Amino acid sequence: MKHLSEEDLILIYYNEPGIRADTRSHAAECTECQAAAVALRRTLDLCNEWDAPEPDSAFERTVWAALAPALAEQPRRQWGFAPGWLAPKIWVAAAAAIVLMAGAFALGRFSNGSAPARQPIVAGLSAQARERILAISLADHFVRTGMLLIEISNSGDAQNFALERTRAHDLVEEGRLLRQTLVLNGKSATAGFLDDVERFLLEVANVPDMVSAEEVRRIQERIGSNSLLFKVRIIEANLRTQGQRL
Amino acid sequence: MNTTQTAQDDEFTVEQARRGNQAAFRLLVERHARVLFRLAFRMTGNELDAEDMVQETFLKAWKQIGKFDGRASFGTWLHRICANCALDHIRARKRKQDVSFDATEPLAAETPSPERIALSAQVQAILLPALDELSEMERAAFVMRHYEGLGIDEISAALGVQQGAAKHSVFRAVQKLRKALAPVAVMSRTAQGKSV
Repeated sequence: MKHLSEEDLILIYYNEPGIRADTRSHAAECTECQAAAVALRRTLDLCNEWDAPEPDSAFERTVWAALAPALAEQPRRQWGFAPGWLAPKIWVAAAAAIVLMAGAFALGRFSNGSAPARQPIVAGLSAQARERILAISLADHFVRTGMLLIEISNSGDAQNFALERTRAHDLVEEGRLLRQTLVLNGKSATAGFLDDVERFLLEVANVPDMVSAEEVRRIQERIGSNSLLFKVRIIEANLRTQGQRL
Repeated sequence: MNTTQTAQDDEFTVEQARRGNQAAFRLLVERHARVLFRLAFRMTGNELDAEDMVQETFLKAWKQIGKFDGRASFGTWLHRICANCALDHIRARKRKQDVSFDATEPLAAETPSPERIALSAQVQAILLPALDELSEMERAAFVMRHYEGLGIDEISAALGVQQGAAKHSVFRAVQKLRKALAPVAVMSRTAQGKSV
């Protein structure tokens, strides 16, 4: 076999995948190529003499502090018409209202004994479309709940819980609207899970602004002991799949 | 945390950030800011510029996160944005004829021997201008390969070029740097020989 090229030696130095077996075996046996590899290594190792400075421990916080105001000025397009935390609530409320209207309409039709042959159509939406809206709204609600659970799980010691409290409170309101819709549509299992989540969210919504380390740990244990985050993620994923199928 | 674990954690968090969740985006900033700083520093050669590049990278990432298609990892995608920010910055700097590196950049953090400090100073005196002589693609590919440990496939994804082009950029960079560093390599070998 011919001696190895500089390119081969560079790939070997960096341990790139895909180096042929015969190339490796030649490198192991040929003294001339070994000498070339040592010379290359010596030069490339010199490049390690240039260290990048290590940013201080507050670097990430500093980056975020500078970034956050700029992000607030540029709300994500998905919410377009309504900034920040308000937007999801508007979307869920609108979706739930559509499904509620449809449910009420259907109940009315069934209760007076003159059930139509066709599926009820409200606001131009088929039953399937309403199911999809409900599934996606619920999935989004569980995503927001999951994010809150993650942040609480990653909380440190005693800290200000004012933001978490507000978010938990908003999620409770949102969840109640969704649960009402679920009950009306006969989906008691998911409504029951929303109940479980609501009990936890109410606890968070009712903590004082400043929470002790012990209280933080207790809330975290509550998340862990009920596998709440795991369940939220599973149900969110199932709803998302269901919404895509419809 | 290893790369695979980070990529798995990113998947869920990126999905939330795409929905406009700033808390999720903050987690991504915390996971990736330090790595991007090192990349930006090695691309620009300046600490303050590197900090600006990190800010700019995340701002662009936030604006464009809807376009992130998940084919490469989120970290690779950020590398791509950061490398492009740094390349734009280098071009602008070259236009201003301000091509010299800050010679006061710190050496290694640990307390090295006087010989080691001397060697580092010699290497940096040659390496930094040599890096500046590389083409933008060569420099970016070399920094990602040598300092960031990215594979050729990841470099090609980050730079948006074919794998062959990424590989040849690394080859050309190494050839040029070997040539520039040859005198120091000889001195280093001689010094090592004497010490043995």
